[in-house]
Amino acid sequence: MQFETAVQTLFDAEVEFVVIGGLSATFHGSARGTYVLDICYSRTSANLRRLTAALAPFHPRPRGFPAGLPFVWDEATLRNGTIFTLQTDIGEIDLLAEVKGLGTFDDVKKHSIVVEAFDRKIATFDLPGLIRAKRAAGREKDLSDVAELESLREASEP
Amino acid sequence: METLHPLTPEQLARAEDRLLHPVRGSQIEAASNQGIDLTLLVEQLRLTPAERAKKLERASTVLEQVRGIANRHS
Repeated sequence: MQFETAVQTLFDAEVEFVVIGGLSATFHGSARGTYVLDICYSRTSANLRRLTAALAPFHPRPRGFPAGLPFVWDEATLRNGTIFTLQTDIGEIDLLAEVKGLGTFDDVKKHSIVVEAFDRKIATFDLPGLIRAKRAAGREKDLSDVAELESLREASEP
Repeated sequence: METLHPLTPEQLARAEDRLLHPVRGSQIEAASNQGIDLTLLVEQLRLTPAERAKKLERASTVLEQVRGIANRHS
């Protein structure tokens, strides 16, 4: 996954997004790997336009979508869903308009902080927000992530 | 919005001590009991958030190459 290219592209296109998931955990010190970029995005019309334009050069398609079937990547497609798991030329990107346990982009933004990475200042979950989202997701993998993230929180407390 | 900064030397020393010598009943001890390698967290905390992200990108690239090789042979 070309995290740097993806994050810089979205940032430079002025897409309103918050980095969530594995990359966010990495920012906070997680040692676990991921090869998917997860972001929560704003569903305003202007943002959907920016988001589709930014990713279009990387030919996004839903993962597992039959190769022969046409797929239209545009604002209308994004408007008709809230979760998109995409394969692109630069790797796998998951787009979430809502995050379980937290809510919409505006709710997620309240639980985010700025991190300097990939030569940009980007928004990502704060540690309590990330833990809350992982708990709400509830998969075995997420709950295992929670134990690691709780350790990082405890280790970093004043 | 707050900023995620690298740990200061004092914060890092405190975090390392907590991770390498977990207090009984702590979340850190619970994680250790679940098999989480706390030394890996120490290594990560010694890096800046930007360095952690770069490291992830390098690891992800290798992982994808391995996945590609595995897919070609399956």
